[in-house]
Amino acid sequence: MKRLWKLFALGAALSLAIVRPALAQEEIRIGVIYPLTGAAASTGLELKQAIELAADLINNGTRGLNLPLTTTGGLPNLKGAKIKLIFGDHQGNPQTGATEAERLISQEKVVALVCCYFSNVTNTASQVAERNGIPFVNPESSSATLTQRGFKWFFRTTPHDDLFVTNFFEFLKDVEKKKNISVKRIALFNENTLFGTETTKIEERLAGEQKYPIVEKILYPAKSTQLTSEIQRIKAASPDLIMQSSYLGDAILSMKTYKELGVSPDALLANDAGFNDSEFLKTTGKDAEYVLSREVWALDLATRNPLIKQVNDIYFERYKTNFNGNSARTFTGLMTLAEAINRAGSTKPEAIQKALVETDIPGSKLIMPWKGIKFDASGQNTLGNGIIVQVQDGKYVTVWPFDLASKDIIWPMPKWDQRK
Amino acid sequence: MRDEHAWAKRIVLVALLVLVLALPYLVGNASQLNYAILVLMIAQAGVAWNILGGYAGQVSLGHAAFYGIGAYTSTQLLLVFGLSPWLGMLAGGGVAVLFALAIGWPCFRLKGHYFAMATIAIAEILQIVVTNWDWLGGAVGLSLPVAETGWRGLVFNKSKVPYYYLILGLLLLTLGVSWLIERSFLGYYFRAIKDEPDAARSVGIDLTRYKLVAITASSFLTALGGTFYAQKELFIDPGSTMATSLSIKIALVAILGGVGSLGGPVAGAVILTAIEETTRAMFGGTGRGTDLIIYALLIILVAVFYPSGVAGWWRDLEHRLLLFKRRDRASGKRKTS
Repeated sequence: MKRLWKLFALGAALSLAIVRPALAQEEIRIGVIYPLTGAAASTGLELKQAIELAADLINNGTRGLNLPLTTTGGLPNLKGAKIKLIFGDHQGNPQTGATEAERLISQEKVVALVCCYFSNVTNTASQVAERNGIPFVNPESSSATLTQRGFKWFFRTTPHDDLFVTNFFEFLKDVEKKKNISVKRIALFNENTLFGTETTKIEERLAGEQKYPIVEKILYPAKSTQLTSEIQRIKAASPDLIMQSSYLGDAILSMKTYKELGVSPDALLANDAGFNDSEFLKTTGKDAEYVLSREVWALDLATRNPLIKQVNDIYFERYKTNFNGNSARTFTGLMTLAEAINRAGSTKPEAIQKALVETDIPGSKLIMPWKGIKFDASGQNTLGNGIIVQVQDGKYVTVWPFDLASKDIIWPMPKWDQRK
Repeated sequence: MRDEHAWAKRIVLVALLVLVLALPYLVGNASQLNYAILVLMIAQAGVAWNILGGYAGQVSLGHAAFYGIGAYTSTQLLLVFGLSPWLGMLAGGGVAVLFALAIGWPCFRLKGHYFAMATIAIAEILQIVVTNWDWLGGAVGLSLPVAETGWRGLVFNKSKVPYYYLILGLLLLTLGVSWLIERSFLGYYFRAIKDEPDAARSVGIDLTRYKLVAITASSFLTALGGTFYAQKELFIDPGSTMATSLSIKIALVAILGGVGSLGGPVAGAVILTAIEETTRAMFGGTGRGTDLIIYALLIILVAVFYPSGVAGWWRDLEHRLLLFKRRDRASGKRKTS
């Protein structure tokens, strides 16, 4: 008899353990998968901090911050329900990402996913979400193909690679108008791996469409020890503008070679990567002055948008570091999702998906330099864009879009022999 | 006595088979079934590896190359020609065999560690080539269409159960081939090549030829697993289907489970995946790498205390039990007489 009772108690305990998660209604469970271990762990942890801050702000009230969601604590339309983040670690591995997505959806019963930073992991994990009918918000992956898959549950807040290159040409148009100049001779100087070759393709297409003559196109072997002959060819073509895509080592080497050979175009427009690495400024020092580069975010945007300073101050106080392009985008991803869930007034995946489709957040409520957030049929945010920074006095300052700029652009840049 | 034991073994096997066949109806949710599929996937690759690495003793640390070839061949045939993955799977196996023979010819001249190193290098080269090959999607990888096609196109969105039975079928096929090899003259040849290559040669075994037979079977079966990966995850890139880490994992399940035994890699797969997934689910979210530490620690423990793998430990246990029984019976007899 005693044994029977024991069995009964065990059974009751077990059934309680199984039923318990279903009873917890006042929290909104959101799955978050980032590379928390492995080669990109440091980035993963940064993203984790950013998204935890976003969740905390929502759960504890947004205290006079002009964020997408005004709240005194929790989501107002869901009786103040709090957001609960459940983390998964994909270790940079696409299959692990899919496995974690599966676990978060079917075991942790999350109502939406925010994920994954790496484009390849985003690819597999979002397929799991698509198959399960769970909304998937992707704040950082920039591979253009992700939104070409015709998914219904996939929403990407960040601009993708094509858009960034498109920005280059919008930027040129704006500069031409403002400075009353015209760019007639463009040289493309890109490295020959995936990044550089993809960029070259898009640059060629857009330059053709917008009637910018390309006078020289060089795909150089990445991680070169010598770029002299390539840069000689560029010099011979005497371009007004060099558009360059390079990782760190090549970026530094090319700057040195430009100086040696006295290559002085009106502007050097770089495509993020090596030119935005903190090592780049340290190593090249004064020679990096006037270089223009694409960015997704910069701290000096705060001079035009007070919200950025407010949120960054809170972030800095907590983690003793500033936001950067990745963490700011992740923060924005959760804000967008939370705003949609609140508007849906429900935690049903279908309702959240519908609300995401109808998202329309103005740029003034974001910590990003975007015009806002609004998704097209493919799930791509159409109002996002990059910014252009320029190295001025040893610092990256935002110079474009002009209405967000903290400093005026210097164009043309002085010739090497006229620099102090 | 011997018969009695064999019967018990057979009953256990049948019970196991019934259990795995019924598993999809026993587990609670899709995620748990997904874990079961992951176990079967790595088990299948491990068993396939075992034919070359276990029986024939040619330790390959480049099996991801075959896995990747399987995944890429079927996927590209599907994307370009709309070919059914069933045929793509066979084609992938075929391409993998051709590749295996091409590398086997020169590499089988190498012995021991040198062969293992050569396989690492070759797999690495293949990964770099595919990463830079635009037609195969380069570093971006290839996406398969996410549309339910059922058993014809092997894409199942509504339920994971078909994937489970598909990979179970592949595993049973791979086990079946292994079993046949183990039983036939090939099994003896392979073991002779592994243990005493010089003696094997002196009794007239053509070493290179039979090593090539082993790598043919092993690479073909590994490639089938690669196609399954592509159909399940619907996205492949060089980093996930051809990486050295995958090669090592394939070898690891076989070594952990017990090389050169039929069921060893399966046991290794169960244990390794269980450790990996539970530690990650419990500690992965903290971002402190606790899961990886525990994972590594457990592998070290197994390697130190049971270098012959789980299968070796099991054999020991069985042996001891038998001895115990015999002694028991013997002492019993003495008493009655």
